[in-house]
Amino acid sequence: MTPQAQVVEIRAGRTRRRGRLVAAAMVAPAVLVVCGVYAYPALSTLAYSVSKIDLSPRFRIEGFVWLKNFINQLTEPNFWQATWITVYFGVMLCLLTVVLSFLIALLLNKTFFGRGLLRVTVLLPWAVPPVASGVLWVQMFHAEFGFLNGLIRAFGGEGGIIWLGGSTIALHSVLITEVWRWIPFATLFILAGLQIVPKSVREAAAIDGAGPWRGFRHVTFPLMLPVVVPVVIFLFVWAMKVFDTIFVLTRGGPTRGTTTLNFLTYRQGFEQFDFGNAAATAYLLAALTVVVIAGLGWMLARSRRLAGM
Amino acid sequence: MVGTSAARRLKRVFTYGAAVLVLVVTAFPLYGIILTSVQTEPDIRSRDVAFVPTYIETEHYQRIFDEASGIPVAESMVNSLVVALATAFLTVAIAVPAAYALHRMAVPGRRIILGGFAAIYILPTLLFVLPLFIAVVQLGLYDTYIGLVLPYVAFTLPFMVWIMGSFVRAIPVEVEEMARIDGAGLRQLMFRIIIPLLRPGIFAGLLLGFILAWVEFLTPLLFTSDLSILTVTLGLFRSTMDIAIGQLAAATVITALPVILITAIFQRNISEVVTAGVER
Repeated sequence: MTPQAQVVEIRAGRTRRRGRLVAAAMVAPAVLVVCGVYAYPALSTLAYSVSKIDLSPRFRIEGFVWLKNFINQLTEPNFWQATWITVYFGVMLCLLTVVLSFLIALLLNKTFFGRGLLRVTVLLPWAVPPVASGVLWVQMFHAEFGFLNGLIRAFGGEGGIIWLGGSTIALHSVLITEVWRWIPFATLFILAGLQIVPKSVREAAAIDGAGPWRGFRHVTFPLMLPVVVPVVIFLFVWAMKVFDTIFVLTRGGPTRGTTTLNFLTYRQGFEQFDFGNAAATAYLLAALTVVVIAGLGWMLARSRRLAGM
Repeated sequence: MVGTSAARRLKRVFTYGAAVLVLVVTAFPLYGIILTSVQTEPDIRSRDVAFVPTYIETEHYQRIFDEASGIPVAESMVNSLVVALATAFLTVAIAVPAAYALHRMAVPGRRIILGGFAAIYILPTLLFVLPLFIAVVQLGLYDTYIGLVLPYVAFTLPFMVWIMGSFVRAIPVEVEEMARIDGAGLRQLMFRIIIPLLRPGIFAGLLLGFILAWVEFLTPLLFTSDLSILTVTLGLFRSTMDIAIGQLAAATVITALPVILITAIFQRNISEVVTAGVER
C-alpha cells in the first residue's frame, strides 16, 4: 500500500467511525425512551412476578416468593376461565373481521357509482376513539331504548334482547363492537393487497374456465394469504390487548364473562392492588401471545413461499 | 366473459345491494349516536325508536359545556389538545432522525433495534404499566402533563419509527449521493434534502401521533385522577356515571369528532401508509 493510499484509508476509517457515532447519536433518544418505558418496566414486572409486594402505605417489595404467583394463576379456575375467554375472543375477532373485511374489500375493488363515498364510510369506525365506541355501543345495546332492539322491533321482532345481560351474550356484544372497530383497518389492508394481485392473473383464470368461486379459491386466496396473515397477526395482538371497550361496556362482567387475561391483569393490579399476581398474569398472557404469533409467523413464511413472494 | 345483459343487470343489483348493506352496517352506529345527541331525553327513552328525526335539539351540546354539568368538557378538550400536540411533535422529532439513521446509516445493532421496536407491540401494555405506575407516583408525575406525555410518546414511538422508516426508504439513494458529491455535510443533507422530501411522511406522522394521543384511555385512567388534568376520553368515561343519555351522546360525538374529521379529510394519506405496509 502506498503511503498516500494509507492516508486515504485512515481518513476513510475515521469518517466511517465518526459516521457511526453520529448515527448512534441520532438513534439514541429513541432507544433511550424505549428502554426507559419498555425494557426497564418489563424487567421490573418480571421481578414483581416473583415477589410479594405491599402497596400500602407505599410500594415495597416484601420478599422473593419463587414461582408462587405463577402457580397461583395456573391453579386458579378464574385464570383458566379468562384464558379460554381470551383465546375464544381472539380467534373469533380474527375470523369474523377477516371474512367480513375480505368481502367488503372484494366489493370495493369493483367499480361502481358511490365507491368513493363507501371507502370513506368504511374507514370511519376506525376513527372513533375506543372509549367513544364503547359508549356508543352501550347505547346501541341498551335493552329498552337501544337502537339494536329498536331495529328488531321495527322489523316485527320481539326486540327484548338484553345484550349485556348474560356472560355469553355480553362477550359476543363486546366482540361485535371490536369487529366493527377493526373492519376498516383489515379492509384497507386487504384491499391494498387485492390491488397488488394483478387483475390479469384473475382474468387469465377466468378465461381458463375457472368460475368466480374456483377463481377465488385457487387464485385470489392463495395469492392473498401473505397479505391476510399479517392482518390476522395484527388483529390477534390487538385482541389480546383489548381494554377500553371491555372497561366501558361490561367492566369484565357479568360474572367475569368478559374478563380476558388482559382485563384480569388490570383487576388484579388496579382493583385488588396485587401487583405480584398481576405481573404473573401479564407474563402468562405475553407467553400466550408470543406462542400464537410464532405460529402465525411460521404460516406467513410458508404462504409467502407458496405465493412465490 | 360473455354475460347476457340480464345476468349483468343482476350482478349490478347485487353489487349495489351489498354496497348499501355495508354502508348501513358501518355507518348505522355512528348515525345512531348523532341522532341520539339531537333528540330530547323523553324521546330517547321511548321504546319506539325514531330512526328519522322530525326535529333537531341542540340543548345537550349546550348543557355539556355548562360549568354546572360536573364534567369540565371544555377544559378536558384543552388538556387533550395540549397533550396530543406535545406528543405528536415530540414523537416525530425523535422518530425522524432515528428512522433515517436506522435505514440509511451504519447503526450498530440496527436489526436488533428494528426487531425490538416491532416485538414490543406483541406484549400487553399492562405489563409495562404496572411498574410505570409506581415510577410515576414515586417521581411525583401523577396528575401532571409530563406524566401523560412521556408514556404517550413512548407508546407511540416504536410504531412511528417504523412508519417513518417506510417513508425514508422511499427516498431514492441517488438524491443523497448527489448531495454528498456536491459537498453537503450531514446537517445540510438532513435539513436541505431529507426533511423537505419527508414532508408528507412527517405530516402523516403528526396526524397519527395526535390521534393516538387523543384517543388514549388507559394512561389517563391510571395516571391521573384530578379533574384539572382530565382528558376527553376519561371525561367521556366519567360522563357515563351520569344518567342523561342525550348529553352522553353529545359528549361522545364531541370526543370522536376531531379524529373523524382528520380521518375523513386525510383518508388518502392514511390509505397510503397502510398500502406502504402491504407492499413491504
